[in-house]
Amino acid sequence: MFLAWNEMKSAKLRFLLIIGVLTLMSYLVFLLSGLANGLAELNREAVDQWRADAIVLSDESNINLPQSSMTIQAAQNISAKNKAQIAQVLLVARKRGTKIKESVAITGIQKDQFLMPKVSEGRAFNRINEVVADDSLKADGLKIGDKLNISSSDQKLIIVGFTKKAKFNAAPVLYTTLSTVQNIKYGNGNISRKGLINGVVLRDPNFANLKVASKLKLTPIESFIENMPGYTPQKISLDFMIYFLFVIVSVTIGIFLYVLTIQKVSIFGVMKAQGISSGFLIRSVIAQTFLLALFGVFVGFVLTTITGLFLPAAVPIQLNIPVLAVYGMIFIFVATLGSLFSVQTIVKIDPVKTIGG
Amino acid sequence: MSILKIQNASKIYGSGHTQVNALKPTHFTAETGELIAVIGPSGSGKSTFLTIAGGLQKPTEGSVLINGQDVTELSEKKRSMIRLSEVGFILQASNLIPYLTVDNQFRLLDKVKKGNMNPNEKDKLFNQLGIEDLIKKYPADLSGGEKQRVAIAKALYTKPSLLLADEPTASLDSNRAFEVISILSLEVKEKNKAAIMVTHDNRLTKYCDKVFVIIDGQLSQISDGDQAYAHLNSSD
Repeated sequence: MFLAWNEMKSAKLRFLLIIGVLTLMSYLVFLLSGLANGLAELNREAVDQWRADAIVLSDESNINLPQSSMTIQAAQNISAKNKAQIAQVLLVARKRGTKIKESVAITGIQKDQFLMPKVSEGRAFNRINEVVADDSLKADGLKIGDKLNISSSDQKLIIVGFTKKAKFNAAPVLYTTLSTVQNIKYGNGNISRKGLINGVVLRDPNFANLKVASKLKLTPIESFIENMPGYTPQKISLDFMIYFLFVIVSVTIGIFLYVLTIQKVSIFGVMKAQGISSGFLIRSVIAQTFLLALFGVFVGFVLTTITGLFLPAAVPIQLNIPVLAVYGMIFIFVATLGSLFSVQTIVKIDPVKTIGG
Repeated sequence: MSILKIQNASKIYGSGHTQVNALKPTHFTAETGELIAVIGPSGSGKSTFLTIAGGLQKPTEGSVLINGQDVTELSEKKRSMIRLSEVGFILQASNLIPYLTVDNQFRLLDKVKKGNMNPNEKDKLFNQLGIEDLIKKYPADLSGGEKQRVAIAKALYTKPSLLLADEPTASLDSNRAFEVISILSLEVKEKNKAAIMVTHDNRLTKYCDKVFVIIDGQLSQISDGDQAYAHLNSSD
């Protein structure tokens, strides 16, 4: 640490440049992790609010809630203790008399079941066509009492309340009664199809033991999320970028430190001639890398936090401090790993050569 | 007591046509209190002799005992520890670390080894060498002579029993050169060390207890410096 620190003090510009590079890389890692987190949230936050363990959908829906269809009869036959029926349709809502449009997930639930969200503003829906909306819609200019026209339906909805964190596959959710959704889907007159819902959500840790009818499929909630259109490809792409960045960090700092080590071969040789061990020199190079990475991550973290304060709401970056802390530690670890490139060089330095034997 | 004992040591580089006898079989001892000069033209094997004497490399044949310990049988790690505790190198290419201030050069030695000079001894040494005002400076800000004096202080600081100096007076004017040699000489006599210096500078040999000359890897003892110089000149 002594050698490492004093060298950094004496060649400030050189080491500030390296710290600068590491800062930018850690900044990128942090923002990407925020983006991965934010985009994942966008898809799953409504489902996370359900705190469910599994979902039963029709077998032919390909684990896609809007495409699933089953009878209430079939839903009642599922023997789980804590279950809730759900109906859903993805459509476009338009504020009446304006051009404000938004793709929404109109989701029918039973008010007395666990799917009912916490109303953060206004009140719960009581009657048909009343909805509790995701509060991200407020940013689009919607408020309590607004009436909504629904595409491809003559039903009119009215916002009676808002709830927080209710996006399903990136679409704001409008929670309402089961019948509202059935009316929108099948029209008021079609009595024969009134018995249809989309699925049943289970809150039961022992769901694996349940048996469901042959045309139904029981899916753990995590794989249900992973099957949302776009969710997994998006997540894999961003995660891949982050992991790749870690490799780049390791190699980049490895190269920097290797070049610095090569430059110091004669100095190291003299020190070895004096009897200073390779181990001491190696520890000093590793300590130096650690310090550089630590500074880089720290400044990157500060920059990320400042950026987070100024990001517009439309940018789906969500900074999750524990995740950033873990990524920061991985960052420091892989950077330090990069310094191991130089170990062999230090071990091989022959003091006899450096003093001209 | 002999601090350095070289028994029948030789060094051969390469083999066949490219074989070089850098050091021919050599016997050599350095007793406590002795300041020894080794003179020779460049390429004569001085550096090879110095690196073998200091345990930096092993001889091809023979043995080297530093303070009674045979370093030819030791691993690089053990030899490195012996160098740290027993040998003080004063190198021609100044052995200062460019990114440490003079003061930190000595603090580094405290980090890697215990039992170095105490602050009083250190102050006294700095005064003798005239470097007490340089402690905040980096090597790049020192003159050649100042660097050399700091390097000498550094070699003495770890209280080695054997001092090995490669051209210790190379960049010093005559006054400083004599001063440096008398410090080395005093250090050797007072503290029961032995010092070997490799040099071109025959002005210094009169301060030495023994003078050797090395030519084509052959080390031989002569009595005084003037003779050594004559010896060198005749062989060139």
